[in-house]
Amino acid sequence: MKDKPVKIEITDGAGIPAKNDAGLISAWWISFIGAISIITYLVVTKPDPYKDILMFVPDGILVTFQVTIFSIIGASIIGLFTGLGRISKNRFFNLIASTYVEVVRGIPLLVQLFYIYYALGRVLLVPDMLSAIIAMSVCYGAYMGEVFRAGIDSIDNGQTEAARSLGFDKNQTMFLVILPQAWRTILPPVGNEFIALLKDSSLVSILAVADILRRGREFAAESFQYFETYTMIALLYLLITLILSKGVSHMEDRLNHYDR
Amino acid sequence: MTVNSIIEIKNVYKFFGDLAALSDVSLDIKAGEKVVIIGPSGSGKSTLLRSINRLEEISRGSIVVDGQDVHDKSSNINNIRQELGMVFQSFNLFPHKTVLENLTMAPIKLKGIDKEEAKAIAVDLLKKVGINEKANVYPSKLSGGQQQRVAIARALAMNPKIMLFDEPTSALDPEMIGEVLDVMKNLAVEGMTMVVVTHEMGFAREVADRIVFMDDGRIIACEPPETFFTCTDHPRLKQFLSQIL
Repeated sequence: MKDKPVKIEITDGAGIPAKNDAGLISAWWISFIGAISIITYLVVTKPDPYKDILMFVPDGILVTFQVTIFSIIGASIIGLFTGLGRISKNRFFNLIASTYVEVVRGIPLLVQLFYIYYALGRVLLVPDMLSAIIAMSVCYGAYMGEVFRAGIDSIDNGQTEAARSLGFDKNQTMFLVILPQAWRTILPPVGNEFIALLKDSSLVSILAVADILRRGREFAAESFQYFETYTMIALLYLLITLILSKGVSHMEDRLNHYDR
Repeated sequence: MTVNSIIEIKNVYKFFGDLAALSDVSLDIKAGEKVVIIGPSGSGKSTLLRSINRLEEISRGSIVVDGQDVHDKSSNINNIRQELGMVFQSFNLFPHKTVLENLTMAPIKLKGIDKEEAKAIAVDLLKKVGINEKANVYPSKLSGGQQQRVAIARALAMNPKIMLFDEPTSALDPEMIGEVLDVMKNLAVEGMTMVVVTHEMGFAREVADRIVFMDDGRIIACEPPETFFTCTDHPRLKQFLSQIL
């Protein structure tokens, strides 16, 4: 028998929809318009309890945003230093950053939240909201650190060599040449981390922080209308997340002003 | 040895594990001299060039540039590098900066030159390399030859005493090699000290004061072009020349 030539089919990527593909845009619009119309429909046709829920929860939306935004800032700062530590040739910084990442990634967020909340809140008397933000920042800082490290790694070594041979020192090279380019690689996963962080911020409702979910639980506990309340909560989270993801993709587009 | 050597390379060794990338390399280069380094791949020519501005650390020996020991930990390498312009095979322009910004960034940040003055210098340099009309575009919009000419201008913007070229035309399409070599020839005519690693024999013959042939981490021959291409003393060089000419 003759050997048949083996044919290996490899995708050339043609089947993967491009970013501007109409199909992808409509998926976002379907979810967005769907969520809005369901909320509107429920509030209009059944104002009791849906309108009551919608009136009760907004305080929580503000708190959720506060926790998310401050945690994002905290996590980004921690993440930048962790990422720089992870690529540092200084063994001390490298070890600290790497150990931090290992420890934080090995403990569930909920457990960390409890731990930091009780350690800071009860022992050091840090306010509830602040300790929740610190806990979220510490946890997400580790993940962001990995994103920063990967982004910095993705920049060709020739860029470093070019900058160094012009006479820039290590820090100038990092902040003037490497990070501005790495930002493009970093932004999409950072955007995803932001959205994940917003969703995980619902975990702070188990602490005494009155976010969307906490307010919902309070409403449900009084009215016993659990199904209706959580339906509304889910739709509100979906709306916020969709808006945030749109914002992230707009930022990505704006960073594409130069092409590789 | 001589007092007016601007680069003094003395008994330099470089080891990668057990492999000697450079072994006992010595070379003196005078101010204004143009030295072309050729040799088969893996012969250590790029390693030697890159150790002149300490992009590679050396294992033994010393390299003195303009009176300063490059590999001495106490010397300020960032200051020494400002005297040594470097041009890479892969251009390495900063893609997030326009052509003009690529040229003005280092002079403004490192030499404290006024923005407008740096711009004026940059525009002059771009004219010199023939791409002043592309000053405000991003490097990705340029051809390889144009990018390399910008890279040369970027190195010149720091007003270096010496220019190092690491295979500047090896990544270029054949029809773009000429435009880059022309810029380098003009630079040579102006009296710049140049150390060039290249495979362009025509350029070596025309421009070089001396041609260095390296093989296996050693300098095998170092001759002016008139005698280099007819040199028969070294069997390895003879073999190399017969393959490429």
